[in-house]
Amino acid sequence: MLDQAHAAFIQRRVSILVGSCNADGVPSLARAYGCRVPPDRSSVTVFLALPQSEALLRDLRASGAIAVVFSRPSTHETLQFKGSVQRISPVDADDRPVMQAYGRSFAEEIAPLGFDESFQDAIMAPVEHEGVAVTFAPLAAFVQTPGPSAGRPLGHGS
Amino acid sequence: MLTPSAIRRCFEGAVPAVIATCSPDGTPNVAYLSQVHYLDDRHVALTFQFFNTTRRNILANPLATVQVVDPETAAHFRLYLRYLRTETEGPLFEHMKAKLAGIASHTGMSKVFHLLGSDVYEVLQVEHVFGAAPDPGTSRPDLLPRLRACMADLGVCGDLAHLFDETLGALARHCGIGYSMLLMHDPTHERLYTVASRGYPESGVGWEVRVGDGIIGVAGCERAPIRIGYTAQAYVYGRAMREGFAHGPDADALESEIPFPGLSNPGSQLAVPLALGNRLLGVLYVESRESRRFTYEDEDALVVLAGQLALTIELLAHSAELHAELPSKVPVVPVRGLPVEVRHYAADHSVFVGPDYLIKGVAGAILWKLLRDYAHHGRSEFTNRELRLDRSLRLPDISDNLEARLILLQRRLAERCPFIAITRTGRGRFRLEVGRPLQLVEAPAS
Repeated sequence: MLDQAHAAFIQRRVSILVGSCNADGVPSLARAYGCRVPPDRSSVTVFLALPQSEALLRDLRASGAIAVVFSRPSTHETLQFKGSVQRISPVDADDRPVMQAYGRSFAEEIAPLGFDESFQDAIMAPVEHEGVAVTFAPLAAFVQTPGPSAGRPLGHGS
Repeated sequence: MLTPSAIRRCFEGAVPAVIATCSPDGTPNVAYLSQVHYLDDRHVALTFQFFNTTRRNILANPLATVQVVDPETAAHFRLYLRYLRTETEGPLFEHMKAKLAGIASHTGMSKVFHLLGSDVYEVLQVEHVFGAAPDPGTSRPDLLPRLRACMADLGVCGDLAHLFDETLGALARHCGIGYSMLLMHDPTHERLYTVASRGYPESGVGWEVRVGDGIIGVAGCERAPIRIGYTAQAYVYGRAMREGFAHGPDADALESEIPFPGLSNPGSQLAVPLALGNRLLGVLYVESRESRRFTYEDEDALVVLAGQLALTIELLAHSAELHAELPSKVPVVPVRGLPVEVRHYAADHSVFVGPDYLIKGVAGAILWKLLRDYAHHGRSEFTNRELRLDRSLRLPDISDNLEARLILLQRRLAERCPFIAITRTGRGRFRLEVGRPLQLVEAPAS
């Protein structure tokens, strides 16, 4: 499902948005602050900031259904993964440096697009907030880069 | 409760918004959105550009959650929405289409982004997610006193020519808007013609655009303000567009000799219609080299100003025809020099002075009548009212702004012909001044 190039793509310089929904069909949505992929690439872990993800976490716990979009601002290259949640746990000491490195890479990414330092600091401030790690097994992946191939599924085993 | 108006700055497209939807079986979907458009405190509209999962989901389950980011503070807000309907024409659609063209060319997506529809959503709730508190204010929080100063300047104008110039002058003085144009509507030929401009090397007075073409034409056609925050090639009045408009030498052809005076690559554009009810009087157009120069608040202010301007134009235009004052004494210009040929082409009423094109259309017909009366009857004093009543001119009906036509003619003469002038001698009254002997030639019909 997740090849090496995609695994590298989703861990740096991308905007990460996580979605789910409740039993009444109300979608929930929050930004994630970094992502970790284990060497076997069988799962993906995204880091959420607790205070701004309450509804999302409630829905992830209840339904297990998750959608995550990774998009690189400078190129609009975008991937969406859908899957089911395997584990939700507090961010641990190993995760924090991953989040901080991600935050720096994202700030670097958006600096040339006209967002100044105070904006970069503000948008990545939750990297230091109380965090939650959500691990999911990707079951489907789609190219969402705007253009003719938008919506195309990434082939299984690709 | 937080409302969409408090976070309008987040809808300018600087940071893309994200939408979450879910299918009837509970599968969530997250996608980027090109544009969230503020309608009022209970409604927003989103761009519908592709038949994708978001589209399928909202048609099956109308609930959507959108997250937007303040482009200055990075504060995040969430809007909980319910899909109501899709509009595929009309003012909302045209405004979003124009804005999308700007966003598309800014992001290199001109070939990819096309608006299929404007999806109107009811706003169920707005949530402040994190970051600085909402700041509905603008980088120019003193816009209201500036608007008041503009209105005060308009209030003291006693005639249309003065009003046109004062409007653009006031925008420069009080609002720092240096590039502006004012166009009046010709309802017979469905076009807009420039009567005043400010900030450009050439005035462009007389430049025309069809109602519906480009940002000015679309604002006029839809009676809706159109604001674009980035250079939108599809809405720039370039040479190609002008050439595309040329339709040959008939009476209906657009003015093609007078080039567009405005910026060739504006970073921001805002066109606001001048209308009374649904009757279009003209369009006020402002632009800037900067991107995202005009905010929602600027749009609000210019719409208010345009309302006042439309009323004042109507008032002054009619008073000029109803009340002709007695002429004031103006010294007569002596006629000297070599005779010059003035040629008139009846097909489109174009007038050439010597080899040089001057004007055509209604203003050309008026000039030809004045010159003939001058040459054959020795007349030089005229009133607006007699022009309106003159059947040979076949002027459009009363809704056409005769006074604005005279201002256009007066300004073209002032720019292009040093020895023929139209001088105001009182309200509703003017004098034709000729400083060289003229030889009038009626060109044979081809």
